[in-house]
Amino acid sequence: MSNSHLFLKSGFPRAPLQNGLGRYVCQLQRITLKFCKNNGSSRGMRDFIENHLLDFAKENPGIVVYVKPRRHRTPVLVGEYLNGDREWLSCRNSTQEEISKWIDLLKTQNGSSSSLRLRKMWHTDVPSIQGPWTPFLLRSPEAQDQKYPSEESSKPLDIPQTATEKLIELFRQQQLEAGESANEVLSKKRAE
Amino acid sequence: MSSLRSVVGILSLTRSLGCPITVQTHRHIKRWVAPTLRELAHRQKKLGPQKPEPRAGFVEWNERSELFAFGKRLGESFQLPLLQRAFTEKAFARVEEEKRRKLGIEENDLHILDNEDLVEKGRHISKAYVEAFLQHQMPKVPKEGLVEISNHLLSTDTLAHVSSHLGTKDLIHSTEYPPSKESLAESLQAVIGALADSSGVERAFLFVRDFICTQLNQKDLLDIWTPEEPLQLLEKICAERKLGDPEPRLLGDCGKNTVLAAYQVGIYGNRQLLGQGFGEDVQTATETAAIDALQRIFDTHENRRPFDFGLQLETQNVRLA
Repeated sequence: MSNSHLFLKSGFPRAPLQNGLGRYVCQLQRITLKFCKNNGSSRGMRDFIENHLLDFAKENPGIVVYVKPRRHRTPVLVGEYLNGDREWLSCRNSTQEEISKWIDLLKTQNGSSSSLRLRKMWHTDVPSIQGPWTPFLLRSPEAQDQKYPSEESSKPLDIPQTATEKLIELFRQQQLEAGESANEVLSKKRAE
Repeated sequence: MSSLRSVVGILSLTRSLGCPITVQTHRHIKRWVAPTLRELAHRQKKLGPQKPEPRAGFVEWNERSELFAFGKRLGESFQLPLLQRAFTEKAFARVEEEKRRKLGIEENDLHILDNEDLVEKGRHISKAYVEAFLQHQMPKVPKEGLVEISNHLLSTDTLAHVSSHLGTKDLIHSTEYPPSKESLAESLQAVIGALADSSGVERAFLFVRDFICTQLNQKDLLDIWTPEEPLQLLEKICAERKLGDPEPRLLGDCGKNTVLAAYQVGIYGNRQLLGQGFGEDVQTATETAAIDALQRIFDTHENRRPFDFGLQLETQNVRLA
């Protein structure tokens, strides 16, 4: 996304009117082909009108096609959608194949896609089917009759071993290795 | 090319007048453009926001093709005169007749057919089908709930939303443009009436299913219908369906006597958990729990089985009273 798209209308890919759930409705409602009868830039458009337009209109009876000749102007495609959007495409120096492809694009989209920045490539109305987590969810049975304040549950879960405790543990190990005498040494030291 | 020609023209003009030759250079910067645009913008601003132009007033507009395409787009075959009548509002027809009378057209040719009867017929058909559809899809919901949901589906807002997305906005003959929500909704009902007249009531039923009933998809049914007094209703329903006496019990609480207190209440009937809910006090928690229990009993909770929109109801099951 570049800076010029900052103020572009943004949205999510949505099917208007739950389209396709009941039946599919083509969202392009009318298309206007504007062209010049003798300018070179309209050549592709004229070819398209001559060779493909009738077939297009027969295949898509739901799209109203208007053909508008005008002198010395650039050829233009204007698509109008059911949601009220209007899309303007310049077809200057385009070939008839290119125009066929552009018209196919207009036919298959549900609004002017070039004027919408997609925030995500998907959308859902129901983000979670489990519902939100609450502290009451999946509690252990012991927590049910816990009385508060309680000594046990006030302690932190992980108390690290202190240096003194570690030393004592090391000393105990030595004592086990050395035998009884070491124990006496320790008691003597403590007495001192 | 044209600029060159004009320069040549000016040169020849000066020569013919016999004046000394002056070199006329062409000014490439058109200095009138910016002031003109500024003036136009100024005038537009002074006029204030303008109403949108009706699409039917454009040069590229063919009413007949538009009506034909409207039917084909929806996959239906309409009789075009009927469809045209469906899009003619009563008020518009009267205004138009008055205009014609002033022009001195004979009384016999004056009358314009309007969509009043088609609206009535479409309203009747859509109401009957929506009710039958809801009855079939949500058999456990009591009557008042079904009425609320069908009222939502057949409300002016929903119908206008559907209608405007089917492209009726440009086709309606109304006294105002853009047409109001009411006229959008009425024209949709008139279209349903016209469809029943053109290709039979079965097609009209399928139309209602595909365009009106599908509006229920992914909607939270609790937004559409929330029982007023859930506990009383739950008691009534439990007595009817023999689920035992509903009994609220406190399942948990936290932060008692603080501003962030939360209570969790479960409702039991015959020692079975019917539903549970939260609240900032026990009263609210009990009510939300009762609503939850009702949703589970009626099968309208959010993770319910999705509606079947491919369903074909038998025509005799739809009561066209």
